[in-house]
Amino acid sequence: MNEQQPYAVIDGHGAMNVFEIYIKTTPERLWEAITDEEMRSKYSFGVGTVSEWTAGSEYKSGVPGAIEIAAGVNVEVDPPRRLVQTFTALWSDDVRAEGESRVTWEIEPVGSSCRLRVTHDQLSADANSELFGGWPMILSGLKTLLETGDLLDTPGSLRYAEAGS
Amino acid sequence: MTCDYLVTYADGMDDVFKALADPTRRELLDALHESNGQTLSELEARFEMTRFGVMKHLKVLEGAGLLVTQRRGREKLHFLNPVPIRTIYERWVSKYAESWAAPLSQLKHDLEKEEER
Repeated sequence: MNEQQPYAVIDGHGAMNVFEIYIKTTPERLWEAITDEEMRSKYSFGVGTVSEWTAGSEYKSGVPGAIEIAAGVNVEVDPPRRLVQTFTALWSDDVRAEGESRVTWEIEPVGSSCRLRVTHDQLSADANSELFGGWPMILSGLKTLLETGDLLDTPGSLRYAEAGS
Repeated sequence: MTCDYLVTYADGMDDVFKALADPTRRELLDALHESNGQTLSELEARFEMTRFGVMKHLKVLEGAGLLVTQRRGREKLHFLNPVPIRTIYERWVSKYAESWAAPLSQLKHDLEKEEER
């Protein structure tokens, strides 16, 4: 099943973590779910992400007036296949101190599904696991949203959803 | 599609459980959990097993989606992919966790209200 190796060699330094999920959807819908502020918030702890989604543009994730979660630059934007972003976590002093890392989103159609791989690298060797610990819940929630239209109801999955209201 | 559950398991949930039903494969995941992104040689050094034996187990884990590989420079690195286990968690545990969490958030709400007074 994983015979294909469509992923580019990832250069660079630092610790790396890789997360992968299969979602029954089209690359276009998946791209929309990643880049649309409202859809994004539904599976990202209630946190929306705002950007123009052009190469070199900035993005900001957070709940306006309540909490800043992350910010960075869209280094590569190739819809609906590939998005490379710098990532600076902002939700606490501890994670701010970790500085900038990199997140690569890769979408690969497989039959009637898509394989989504999120590679979070350029992390320090002893990086705070909070930086990348949220990805399994986010990706699992993204799958649930696209396949069923529902939201996850696990504790924490919408922790910031009401913060802005 | 599994039973009447709406979320698809393209990797096959059976594959996940089969992959986990072997102590060596669980140890391989433990090794990656401890230090993610290892080469075959690094993993092999931890086990009293032939290279071929380790490769066979890695293949099963990869087929179940519990392990993913990524090339970096000349090296092929192996990573623990916890996402399939997370979806299993969402499927069965979330309901109980939710009913446990609901009274807690009500308690938090009440206590904070109390404080406001």
